[in-house]
Amino acid sequence: MNLLLLYLLLAKAVFTSFSGMASLPMVREDFVVKHQVLTDRQLSTAVVAGRTGPGPNGLYIVSVGYFVGGLPGAFVGLIALITPAFLIIPLMKFAARYANVPRIRSAIRAVVLASAGLLMAASIPLAHDALANPSGSALAAVIMIVTFVVLTFSSVASWWVILGAAGLGLAAKLIA
Amino acid sequence: MPRPTLRQLTWVFFRVGNSTFGGGLPTMAALQREFVEREKWLTPEDYGLAFSLARITPGTNVIAFCAATGAQMLGFAGALAGALGETAPSAILAVLITQGYETWRSNPLVLAAIAGTIAAVVGMMWSSIALLVKPYIHSSQGIVRAVPIVLGAFLALYTFHLTPLPIVGLAALLGLLWPDAERKK
Repeated sequence: MNLLLLYLLLAKAVFTSFSGMASLPMVREDFVVKHQVLTDRQLSTAVVAGRTGPGPNGLYIVSVGYFVGGLPGAFVGLIALITPAFLIIPLMKFAARYANVPRIRSAIRAVVLASAGLLMAASIPLAHDALANPSGSALAAVIMIVTFVVLTFSSVASWWVILGAAGLGLAAKLIA
Repeated sequence: MPRPTLRQLTWVFFRVGNSTFGGGLPTMAALQREFVEREKWLTPEDYGLAFSLARITPGTNVIAFCAATGAQMLGFAGALAGALGETAPSAILAVLITQGYETWRSNPLVLAAIAGTIAAVVGMMWSSIALLVKPYIHSSQGIVRAVPIVLGAFLALYTFHLTPLPIVGLAALLGLLWPDAERKK
């Protein structure tokens, strides 16, 4: 895949989402399903890589760029990730006029809710992939549920959860 | 009101953006301490405007927030410093971690550890869903509006195989035509 197309597809996903992970369904649709230049496993790995370190949640876009186009791809991913942020400059100029229009705010909230539904659908194939865990699908299911509970109901940083999940996978392998 | 140099500003974005774990809100709170309370480079009103507009800017909110506060202080150069200072070092780290996974993925022990983290990703996505939906289901009116939009988007992608772009467009249109009751802060 050439770098321009990579940029356009990643930028499209980022431009049409309103939070870090909300772009994931579109990334999966374009790169895994349509162009088949990325596997579900690589997409999950990209999410892990993006969430292990500090920085914004959308960083997985950079890892996706790396998987598809190597280091130049990662650079393109970074540019695609930050491009929409600059829209805020003209937005600030028009803020007083439009930002508080109830229908505009309502449309944005509807997009956020739709993003949740899209994420739900995109999580199903990734869950299938994770349940094919060599150490057993029961362990994978436990990790999924514990991760969900910990990240939703506590302020524990996600990299601790990733470290714990890696440790559990390793321990299960060593015991087996 | 004092203004930072580009170097000072880049350093704050770099230091705070790449040492604050836990996503956008802790980073924005840490930057508020730096810009508004410690350095007094921004007024609380500037911060409030950047914070609220970042939430309606496409993409990752915290990157838009950094671009906005950078622009408020030093124009476009400040915006660039904000967006890149916040993301570039973490992006390099993410690439190194990705390379690490790639290099070690044939090792069975590393493979087992990766399999554990892959399962965690699914839990992370579910958590993102819960956190996205949570602010909109505090009233029965909110639930009545949220459930069909979330389920409709889910079914449109999963069952009817529509692509995400038209689904997002339809949701925006629905939001315009079906205004919700704003939650009182």
